[in-house]
Amino acid sequence: MSLEDLVEAFINLEEEKVLKNVESLVKMGKNPYEILEACRRAAEVVGERFERGEYFLSELVYAGEIFNNVMKIVLPLIKREIKPLGTILLGTVQGDVHDIGKNIFKAFAEAAGFKVIDIGVDTPPEKFVEAVKIYKPDIVGMSGLLTIAYDAMKRTVEALKEAGLRDKVKVIIGGGRVDENIKRYTGADEWADNAIVGVKKCKQMLGLGG
Amino acid sequence: MRVVKESKPKTPEEALTERRERIEKAVELKEPDKVPLILSSCGDLLRKYITGHDLYFNYEKAREAVIKFVKDYQVDMFLPVLGAEGFIFALAFAEYPDIAPAVRFWSGPMHDILKDKFTKWPGRELPEDSIFQFIGGQFMDIKEYAKFSEDPIAFVNEVILPRSCINLEKIGSPKANAALIRLGSEASKALKFLVDVTVDLANVGMPSLPLTSAYAPLDYIGDFLRTPVGVLLDIRRYPDEVKRACEALVEPIIKVALALKPAGAKYAFIPLHLNEYLSPKLYNEFYWPTLKKIIITLYEQGIKSFVFFEGWHDAHLETILDLPKGWGVALFEKTDVRKAKKVLAGHTCVMGGIPSSLLLEASPDKIKEYIKNLLKEVKVGGGFILANSVEIPKDVPSENLRALIEVVEEEGRY
Ligand code: B12
Repeated sequence: MSLEDLVEAFINLEEEKVLKNVESLVKMGKNPYEILEACRRAAEVVGERFERGEYFLSELVYAGEIFNNVMKIVLPLIKREIKPLGTILLGTVQGDVHDIGKNIFKAFAEAAGFKVIDIGVDTPPEKFVEAVKIYKPDIVGMSGLLTIAYDAMKRTVEALKEAGLRDKVKVIIGGGRVDENIKRYTGADEWADNAIVGVKKCKQMLGLGG
Repeated sequence: MRVVKESKPKTPEEALTERRERIEKAVELKEPDKVPLILSSCGDLLRKYITGHDLYFNYEKAREAVIKFVKDYQVDMFLPVLGAEGFIFALAFAEYPDIAPAVRFWSGPMHDILKDKFTKWPGRELPEDSIFQFIGGQFMDIKEYAKFSEDPIAFVNEVILPRSCINLEKIGSPKANAALIRLGSEASKALKFLVDVTVDLANVGMPSLPLTSAYAPLDYIGDFLRTPVGVLLDIRRYPDEVKRACEALVEPIIKVALALKPAGAKYAFIPLHLNEYLSPKLYNEFYWPTLKKIIITLYEQGIKSFVFFEGWHDAHLETILDLPKGWGVALFEKTDVRKAKKVLAGHTCVMGGIPSSLLLEASPDKIKEYIKNLLKEVKVGGGFILANSVEIPKDVPSENLRALIEVVEEEGRY
């Protein structure tokens, strides 16, 4: 049982093997932080395979599920605070309840080292504004798959402006039907219709390479 | 802006025949006189004329909105989808061809009657002027696959409907019986509304597709029983159970689709949901075999399929060639219709090509240029229908929609 086995099982999406490995590594007294790092590395490889077209969304969904299940075991054991790359406030915009993509993005952003605050679906602009005031994120991520989401995203950006918060955050929109046109329309800084690219753009926006 | 000269005005009958033939020729993989332009709306676009609440709760006002739209925008066909996804109910009544089609799409009043948990509605759970939301949910436990597969219709009636509709919670209770009687009477109003819309459209020279509907078995499980993510995880953890359930769904789904055959249905609409998620391996194992069986059986029965390949379908494009030539119409969403046309020319009528984001954000000239370039590539040889794939937002400027219609007039002629 080694971290290498764990990484390999994760990349191959062998859920049972991953969880068994994690449990026995924990029992052996392995530093939970190292286990977390191993899973992050594995998630990165899963993302690369997705970008190369070897893995599909169902693999991302499954990898996200495995990652979350590992976190359930490992996170409570990590004592010292991990300094995140940055904080992302994430929600699906008003009128839209699609959240599968949002959740995948969340899992991969967390795996990359971001702290993600998820404020759920059908989120009105006011709620985004409130949450920005409370959590002071570096990035606001808006997810939306419906065409009515375009308008909701635009209204959310405007609400951030009105609250004087627009300059304090970067805004990225995501979801299968956003593109350069919609980025312009909504006034966001970046867009992504793919979680892996989205994570890269978040890093870039914070000047962390990508 | 250049204004296109209208050739001498046609009577509604002439326009209807011309448009219908134009579309039929394209479906038959031939070159019509002009590339057909079809627009559709699930609600948002029509909110140009009507509030979300009225659209789903007031049949008369909804009729007016549809007619206003087609008078303002003279396309070859307009497909309004004015109800929520109710295939769960159609399947429950698969044995009853007089009932299944009537409950296929839900109107707002039907939601009031059933108090279903699948959907939320404007003026009810949602603000007055929004579109309805299909939420779905997990109504079947992982341990129930076997029981479901034994007899899907019985299971849906006995277990899923009571769990998913508050007013059907207790089968046989006065409340549940009353709900079903009310549903029946509302369903005939809703059906009459659909017929009325067809007549209204014909009166202004616009054909309608004689439609019935079917479903991909794996999507049925994802949308109504286990949630999409649930079923994606199930195929990893319990592959055999999922496969059996898909197989058990084939026959009931075909029954639902055939229910409208005696009434003249010629096309079965099938929107695909999980196609984009699946790798070719999983697609060919869990998704395509049962869907293919449904499409082929319907084709043999004289019903072509009108399949909406949602999301990216690139990885599975070639599997469409497994179907008999002329099996139906393939509407693509994110898959580039140029690419689809290359693969499917002479085999499948390809439909789509208008990005809603372009209509929303680009100038009329940009739109014209885009569509002109697109048509140049895809119209050759016929078998192509220009259409939107996802909803056109209500805020799309009128001049952009007009530019779209004009450019087809200018560049779509054969
Ligand atoms: C699954 C699904 C559903 C499920 C949603 C379940 C859930 N919990 O999310 C259910 C059945 C509930 C549903 C409901 C509806 N749906 Co739906 N649905 C889909 C479907 C099939 C897949 C969506 C999906 O999950 N894709 C997979 C995910 C992983 O992709 P994604 O969201 O794009 O996410 C990726 C990236 O965009 C990115 N990402 C996502 N979010 C973010 C955020 C940030 C910040 C970043 C950086 C990146 C990022 O990362 C992800 C991974 O790469 C699509 C069709 C399709 N294939 O896309 C239709 C679709 C989105 N639905 C549609 C519609 C119309 C509806 C309904 C109105 C249906 C109806 N008529 O009843 C309702 C609306 C409910 C509502 N108000 O929101 C339309 C939208 C059309 C439009 N543009 O308006 C689509 C496009 C289908 C279609 N082609 O017509 N739907």
